[in-house]
Amino acid sequence: MLAELAGWLGAAQEPGRQIFEQNCSVCHGADANGGAEGPSLIRSALVRHDEKGNLIAPVIRNGREGKGMPSFSLSEQQIADVVMFLHAQVEASDNTSARLPSKDYALKLLLTGNAAAGKKYFFGRGGCSHCHSPTGDLAHIAKKYAPVDLQGRFLYPSGAAKTATVSLASGKTASGTLVYLDAFTVAIRKSNGWYHSWPRASVKVEIYDPLAAHRALLHQYTQADIHNLFAYLETLQ
Amino acid sequence: MACLFFAAALCAVAQGLNPAALLKPPTNTWPTYNGDYSGRRYSTLKQINSSNIGSLAPAWAFQEHAVPLKCTPLEVNGILYLSAPDNVWAVDARTGREIWHFNRPSQGDHLASRGVAMYKDRLYFGTPDAHLICLDARSGKAIWDKQIADVKFGYYLALAPLVVKDKIIIGTSGDSSDVRHFLEALNPETGKIIWRWYTTPAPGTPAARTWPNTQALLHGGGPAWLTGTYDPELNLIYWGTGNPHPVLAGTGRAGANLYTCTIVALNADTGKLVWYYQTSPHDTHDWDSVETPVLFDADFHGKPRKLLAQAARNGYFFLLDRTDGQHLLTAPFVPTDWALRINAKGQPIPNPKMEPQPDGSVVEAGPEGATNWNAPSFDPQTGLFYVNGHVGYSAFYLRLGPNGDPQGHQGGAVTPLVSHAFLEAIDYRTGKIRWKRCEEDVSGHPGILTTAGHLLITADVSGNILALDPATGKTLWHRYAGGPMNSSPMTYVLDGRQYILTAVDRMLYAWALP
Repeated sequence: MLAELAGWLGAAQEPGRQIFEQNCSVCHGADANGGAEGPSLIRSALVRHDEKGNLIAPVIRNGREGKGMPSFSLSEQQIADVVMFLHAQVEASDNTSARLPSKDYALKLLLTGNAAAGKKYFFGRGGCSHCHSPTGDLAHIAKKYAPVDLQGRFLYPSGAAKTATVSLASGKTASGTLVYLDAFTVAIRKSNGWYHSWPRASVKVEIYDPLAAHRALLHQYTQADIHNLFAYLETLQ
Repeated sequence: MACLFFAAALCAVAQGLNPAALLKPPTNTWPTYNGDYSGRRYSTLKQINSSNIGSLAPAWAFQEHAVPLKCTPLEVNGILYLSAPDNVWAVDARTGREIWHFNRPSQGDHLASRGVAMYKDRLYFGTPDAHLICLDARSGKAIWDKQIADVKFGYYLALAPLVVKDKIIIGTSGDSSDVRHFLEALNPETGKIIWRWYTTPAPGTPAARTWPNTQALLHGGGPAWLTGTYDPELNLIYWGTGNPHPVLAGTGRAGANLYTCTIVALNADTGKLVWYYQTSPHDTHDWDSVETPVLFDADFHGKPRKLLAQAARNGYFFLLDRTDGQHLLTAPFVPTDWALRINAKGQPIPNPKMEPQPDGSVVEAGPEGATNWNAPSFDPQTGLFYVNGHVGYSAFYLRLGPNGDPQGHQGGAVTPLVSHAFLEAIDYRTGKIRWKRCEEDVSGHPGILTTAGHLLITADVSGNILALDPATGKTLWHRYAGGPMNSSPMTYVLDGRQYILTAVDRMLYAWALP
């Protein structure tokens, strides 16, 4: 839904972008965030308080005498398109989240490592080949994930559940997927689908974490190891 | 008849809050965000204590049906005042029954409202659209409504205002556009500005040289997310400031970027800067230094000192002399690798290689740093400073536009990798960790209260409300309360009975002895 909305916004601002590039970007910069001559329009109170062109349109039509802003003879539609483009620029600048780079993050930005060194790390120091194979579970892995997701996932793949074996006072044991663990309670889901919980004080709990090796590597990687490993995994098309 | 009139007049005053009463630490009430000016969140109450905590039971619950609570309620003369974005409630502190509810829908960022402030018979409340509202505490009716900053630039008010003598002190929040933030003192009667202090220096001053140019400085950020503290003897207010803007991209703002990520001491009457200490020069990881600057008087190296301690979001514990800002101690309280070294002033200096990079830079830190807005506590009985936070790893990305400028206000992005929660007891004299509790793969924001009853009240991030032995961290009592406690507990005495309050999701629980 968000992607659709972003796509729609992108398409809607396209005519405005072209008009802006032809008429305005020389002074205000291609992204409207300021240029050699003109101020940032993203940081402009007038732009931010504008509603459907009520403040921006008169400035485009009449210019700003004494401030170096000439008037432009654009049609009503062209002005409306520029207004839409400017609001979209403000929106993009303000509301692009700091959490998670977007899926379209450019591969060339990430591809700074050496694939051969990454392969060596995979089969050697990193110990990745103890669990993974480039022709088995990781075959075509680079096709499966967007580059920035691939990097995030090999650093720490989410979603692999821990399992637990719970030893009861009676001597019996119960094993299953770990559902919940805090200082006081442990809960598992057995292979038959049923949920069970116990007070931790009454049982012994052993946890198996399938991602333990990924966690351990986070303490060991250099930045170069990470970029090399990514470059290698990206060859698994 | 005269006697009756006199009694009625006394009553009218007694229901409100005389600001002079705040100058001595309150004992039975909780009249400010942190309970008192020190920010220690240590209560001298001990009716509920380590020997009877086992029988602690629910006294009542209040359900606000709106949004999860992230505030600390006030308690003044039998009435609680609590807030969430757009909402304020007055609640009977004896029974949990609602007295009134104020609601004012607004545009703007609804991330949090940390609480309200009280002055005489009025309350002060900041809004998502950066207005300060003055309410009649008796009725919840608005007396005045004043715009503090422009919501179109993403400004809003998250913190609980601080009353100092005849002033209401506030600061601006915001994390969507590159702006200059400020602290401000207002007249409580009229809302008129008494002073304003910008968190980036005035152009042309020596401190302005920590920015490459005036434009960067005037859009340099430094929001004030949390309430500061106050020393009435020194007449100084202490405030922590937030990160510089753009957030993750330092390319256009070479330099230390004063006074962002800084602990500042301002004269309460004039708003003039008296001293400052920057905990994170040139931050590029969004590691605010807004965490409560906690004030206490204690020995350091055999000498009695007026101290200020902060466990900062960058993972370092700082101890300063609060009279003049003299640096006494810096110690990491989490494992982290973003700093190259600690300089002669005790400041961690960033390692350029660990700054956000276009190809990603993996840093040993949770995505939001070592700790956050949840309140820490200092217990004078143990001499320990307590803080909840996170350790882990995150990948920091730098986003630059085609012309090399930071893209957008964030200028980058963060992929959280692993994050574990902890509660630590830090020895203020050495920075050493005395004890620690950990929880794997979970996160949250419980605050902390310590009491003279040898109790530390908090919650784990799994939703268990906890009473711990503050000396050892041993669990003395726990209850699962149906959701996460992303707020900070408080306590008060009413009719001779001590209550401990914990806000869990949309519920406020009062706990007491049977």
